[in-house]
Amino acid sequence: MLQTTLRNAVRNIRQLLADSANRWQLLRAQYRELGCPQREVRGIRLLQAWLSPEQLVQFNKYGYFEVTGCQTGKRYRICYGTATNIHELDQYGRPKAGWCFVPNQPLVPGDVMLAQKIALETDEWAALAVAKSFRPTWH
Amino acid sequence: MATHIVMDHTGDTRHEFDANDAKALFEAEKRFEQLTGAGFTAAIRNSSGDPTVTRRFDPKAEETLFYPRLVGG
Repeated sequence: MLQTTLRNAVRNIRQLLADSANRWQLLRAQYRELGCPQREVRGIRLLQAWLSPEQLVQFNKYGYFEVTGCQTGKRYRICYGTATNIHELDQYGRPKAGWCFVPNQPLVPGDVMLAQKIALETDEWAALAVAKSFRPTWH
Repeated sequence: MATHIVMDHTGDTRHEFDANDAKALFEAEKRFEQLTGAGFTAAIRNSSGDPTVTRRFDPKAEETLFYPRLVGG
């Protein structure tokens, strides 16, 4: 009897936490777009349309997403921003190196991130050949 | 309708064209050549949704994305 009650209570708490987390993520996404100029929102929409389902979940939740380099198989994290926003990850998912390459025209963050994603997923070596490295910091 | 999406400072500019219209297709091919000639990279998505870089105009591509040349930041 007590065990069943406890199990139900735990299930209810888990559900409540999950619902709260989902609401928080939704609020975060809406707030991010509310505070952005229209052109920045357009960039975010375009990026979201081109992300894989897994990357989209990551981006909506954390504001970054991960890609796999097409030639080395290395993992990279592309964070929201327009420069010094790419982290090469180690086997534990920790940033071990930073890479910076950007389009040669001023673009909004979503566009920059999408160009970086496509470059790493289709011609990683060419992207890294022009990239400058930097020491990554934890976010 | 097919679309060319060109990244720019406004977010992007979209050019829609009817791939069955010879004149529209000619204009689209000209735009493709101009943009890639100016250093833009053209990307399309394959059937599984993964991006692919293309160096030739694909009249069957529903959506082609153009982004400027990448340089070290």
